[in-house]
Amino acid sequence: MVSLVVLLAVWQLASVAFTARYVPGPWLTFSAMWEHLSSGEIPRHFAFTMTRMLGSFAIAMAVGTVLGTLMGLYRRGEQMLDMWVMVGLTIPSLCYIIVSFMWLGLNDRGAVLAIAWTTFPSIAINIWQGVKAIDQRLIDMARVFRSSGMRRIVKVVIPQVLPYLMAAARFGLGVVWKVTVFVEVLGGSDGVGYMLNYSFQMFNMADVFAWTIFFTIIMLGIELLILKPIETRLFSWRPDIRA
Amino acid sequence: MADIALQALSKVYRSKVQPEGLLALNRVSLAVADHQFVCLLGPSGCGKSTVLNVLSGLDQEYDGEVRVAGAVVSHDSTHPIRLGYVFQEPRLLPWLTVRGNIEFALESVGIPKGQWRERINGWLDRVGLHDFAEVHPHELSGGMQQRTSIARAFAVDPEILLMDEPFSGLDELTARSMRELLLGIWLETRKTVVFVTHNCFEACFLADRIIVFTPRPGSIKQEFTVELDRPRNYEDPRLFDMSVKVTHFVTGGRE
Repeated sequence: MVSLVVLLAVWQLASVAFTARYVPGPWLTFSAMWEHLSSGEIPRHFAFTMTRMLGSFAIAMAVGTVLGTLMGLYRRGEQMLDMWVMVGLTIPSLCYIIVSFMWLGLNDRGAVLAIAWTTFPSIAINIWQGVKAIDQRLIDMARVFRSSGMRRIVKVVIPQVLPYLMAAARFGLGVVWKVTVFVEVLGGSDGVGYMLNYSFQMFNMADVFAWTIFFTIIMLGIELLILKPIETRLFSWRPDIRA
Repeated sequence: MADIALQALSKVYRSKVQPEGLLALNRVSLAVADHQFVCLLGPSGCGKSTVLNVLSGLDQEYDGEVRVAGAVVSHDSTHPIRLGYVFQEPRLLPWLTVRGNIEFALESVGIPKGQWRERINGWLDRVGLHDFAEVHPHELSGGMQQRTSIARAFAVDPEILLMDEPFSGLDELTARSMRELLLGIWLETRKTVVFVTHNCFEACFLADRIIVFTPRPGSIKQEFTVELDRPRNYEDPRLFDMSVKVTHFVTGGRE
């Protein structure tokens, strides 16, 4: 709370020092935000951005989980995919974006492909590590007690992979929201990124601040109100994550 | 009848490094009668744990014949009889409580839910973990975790109990009290037990019969019968003499 007050004070001072044209103060920024909120502009563009994010996130999670599992379970899979996942991780996201747009056009399909493409390698790596870390000894224990294959997977294997899955999801979401805005700047006709770019063209710093801060607040909200509680709940048995 | 019959059991481990294979067990034949407590004694790597893996059905690639309770342990996934297994490490599921871990085993072997509570409470009482039912494994000491594992093995009411150096990871004082606990429970339940150890004194303290294995490839070198009455006492000089005799034999008279 104190840090928030200090931040606002520093912000206001900076605004006075560098003029509102370059650093619009908190008042100016929040009134701009309020204006766009009440006009419905923020909700509308935000909905576009969210849809792209969630769609590509779902695709990236699915592809990443399948590849990561294959790599973790099979030596052949590891040999074949290891290198390519690394390559996938190395290529700049800008390249994926350009290629996707050239293939599918400057539309939502192109955007979703670009975002998912950028994101899935890091998810695959997380899942891969998780599957490799599965403790065979616990599975053997379950087998000795004649646990069925399905029960072994649900009660012994999945709980072991869950922390990695969770880490993959959080990490993936972080990548997705950055890339989504970027994609919208480059080739969107709506969405938060597009509006940021628009404000930039108008040199309207208050709007740039307003969009950025709103977006950040929402993302923090998702992190703190959804992901963190899920994690705390799932992993309350672990000694290190007592929240 | 929960008896065990091994007929010329051999096991070869094949790997990339040794494509011709490493002979771990060489024609081991052994019969264990119902209600008997048998210790397999030998140095590390002599294949004693392999015997347990074969008996439990975890390892299904072997030569020879393995019969448990008269039925052949085959490449079929379900084991002919109900087993309890205490591993060297506790092998508890860390995300479940002590109770949850035992419930997992009870559910796996198919014990009706109505009996769980009574069984679990009874066995936790026996191993002295009455107050720790709702605690997660990481909050327990190594000895308490292993006691949970013992309670889990007995709670499923196994016909045969397999134990793979269950006390070797514990300090000697804890191990002592655990052996006494085990012997106490065994006297009441009289399960057939196959207990693997490299500790001669432990073998003498626990077993009816001690089967001494040779170093790799493992085969049966000698058998000792322990004719001491139960309950046994750590201070018993006859136990000490027996232990010296077995140790002497195992180390080839070098001590």
